[in-house]
Amino acid sequence: MAESIPSDATPAHDDHHHEEPSFASKYIFSTDHKMIAMQYMFTGMAMALIGGFMAYVFRMQLAFPGIDVPGYGLVTPANYNSLVTNHGTIMIFWVAMPVLIAAFGNFLIPLMCGCDDMVFPRINRLSYQIFLLSAIVLLGSFFVQGGGFGGAWTAYPPLSAKAEYSLTPLGSSIWLIAVALEFVAFLLGGINFVTTAMNARAPGMKLYDIPMVVWMIVIASILFMVSVGPLIAGAIMLLFDQVLGTAFYDPDRGGDPILWQHLFWFFGHPEVYVVLLPAVGITAEIITVFSRKKLFAYKTVLHTAIGTGVLSFTVWAHHQFIAGIDPRMAHVFTLTTLLISIPIAEMMFVYIATLYGGSIRLTTPMLWALAFIGEFLIGGVTGIFLGASGSDIYLHDTYFVLAHFHYTFYPIAIIGTMAGVTFWFPKMFGRHMNENLGKIHFWGSIIPFNFIFIPLFVLGLGGQHRRVFDYTNFPDLSLPWMQEFRVIATVALLVMLGFQILFLYNFFQSIFKGRKAERNPWNSNTLEWTTESPPPHGNWPELPTVYRGPYEYSVPGRDKDYWPQNEPV
Amino acid sequence: MSEEAHGTSNYIKIWAILVVLLVLSVLGPMLGIQAVTLITAFGIAVVKAYMVAKKFMHISEAPKFITYLMVTCLVFMLLFVAGSAPDVFKSEGDNWKKTASWQYMPPEADHGAENH
Repeated sequence: MAESIPSDATPAHDDHHHEEPSFASKYIFSTDHKMIAMQYMFTGMAMALIGGFMAYVFRMQLAFPGIDVPGYGLVTPANYNSLVTNHGTIMIFWVAMPVLIAAFGNFLIPLMCGCDDMVFPRINRLSYQIFLLSAIVLLGSFFVQGGGFGGAWTAYPPLSAKAEYSLTPLGSSIWLIAVALEFVAFLLGGINFVTTAMNARAPGMKLYDIPMVVWMIVIASILFMVSVGPLIAGAIMLLFDQVLGTAFYDPDRGGDPILWQHLFWFFGHPEVYVVLLPAVGITAEIITVFSRKKLFAYKTVLHTAIGTGVLSFTVWAHHQFIAGIDPRMAHVFTLTTLLISIPIAEMMFVYIATLYGGSIRLTTPMLWALAFIGEFLIGGVTGIFLGASGSDIYLHDTYFVLAHFHYTFYPIAIIGTMAGVTFWFPKMFGRHMNENLGKIHFWGSIIPFNFIFIPLFVLGLGGQHRRVFDYTNFPDLSLPWMQEFRVIATVALLVMLGFQILFLYNFFQSIFKGRKAERNPWNSNTLEWTTESPPPHGNWPELPTVYRGPYEYSVPGRDKDYWPQNEPV
Repeated sequence: MSEEAHGTSNYIKIWAILVVLLVLSVLGPMLGIQAVTLITAFGIAVVKAYMVAKKFMHISEAPKFITYLMVTCLVFMLLFVAGSAPDVFKSEGDNWKKTASWQYMPPEADHGAENH
């Protein structure tokens, strides 16, 4: 198979120049996977700050309607729509995807598979450049006439298709273009992840010796590739409806708005698993290291991940139960949706079984990993209520849905990312983060998180609809207890955002002044810990050979409780 | 060199077959018989797509898993069509209207029905 790789596959650093590289070759045109990973991570972090700021602005408006929001000013209805739309878009496409898949994928796949770089380093570079362009295009949409797109991140037509409905003639088209560019970037990245993990592994590394996080990123990349086609086709039709006056989604002229919902969710539901699986993989790495135990049922986790991926293509219409889909199909999609909870629950049980009887060390990454399991379970269980079409009729489009998906996406995008960043930080920057500050930040994020979204579950059950700018216009929805709950959620959000400043301080202070990290500070088995911290260009002076699987912890009869993959018997 | 020449002649041969099939697919529907129209229009299109994928897109020479990947994509496409067909085909874009609930609404309410 190796001979079928085109010439682009030659390692980028064949010609070892040892003079200091220029700024452009080090940052703008670098093909080093670690540099690209860092660029994805820092771009994702910057976008997370923007997305978090948007959440702050619209939560302030909801808790204290009509307030002059400090740092933003008065929120108009159009601003509000634009803020919620772009908060969702940014947090999913410009935070969760670049950090969990692109940053961790780029950093970990070559290091964990024991190769010197991605197989297509230049495509990798192109992927980041297009991603950066997409972020700039999206942010640019706020400064055009009419402001940023305000038709919700799902962009349902006819609202999104006609400027007279959305009131954002340019913003909606620019939003579509930015999303399309972002997808191009991730398709290019995904090709690299799959090819590198399948073709460029260290000698001796068999398929079942691949660390779980690499498998998860590979499966996620394949899911993304297979699901994104319909959405790109749909997005082009929507763009045509917006700018050329076609009527694919216009019911007055024979189009069908439900078609967009099918095209969007055929991508949109697998997308949940695209970001979930890397977070699940990161958790697997961390809980094995910090419970000093072998991953319970490696093959089961792998096979359930593949099973989840396949099933995720059969559940999309559970987002559309009351959109007017055929009721017979609602039965089918209820069934498949309830089925998909089985493999996910199985993974969670495997993780709990891994923890059982281990010598658990509650380091900061481990706390995050445990929180991922606990919080994601709440997200998963509340999904059952929404997946069953009968109860969804009542709960659809309420804050119950919103709280449910924040209980899935927050564990994925924030908890999973924090787990990964705190775990691999010594390898990324060669220094340790401050453990105490890390733990304070952990509790300061997790407790307010629950205080934000548990009240929103209750409000949702009380009938509070989503996407309402000011509830004082609705007497049923502005009862005193409801307004109090909104204030609790907003205050909790402010507390949570405040603790992120502590994280940023810890992160940047540790990069420059943290305690120096040795090669393998956590006594871990996987290959990335066998090279220097941070790894040099090319990763290893001599590429490693693999002798065993990645999770041989506490093997009886050995003095050390870990057994690196590259250590000969 | 000879292998390359052989490859090119093969491409031309396939192209010629595709042209003949194209002519058939244009002539077939002219007969006006429904069965013949279906076979010549859609049946030949499938054959042509298969030949293009196999020979021009080199599926026949690629590793086996590429074929599996293509078939998987095809399966997902059929799945998508099957899942969305009850809503999108034959509905004339009307499924989003909750006609069943209209009997409970005041008669003078405007539901946009006059457009159809």
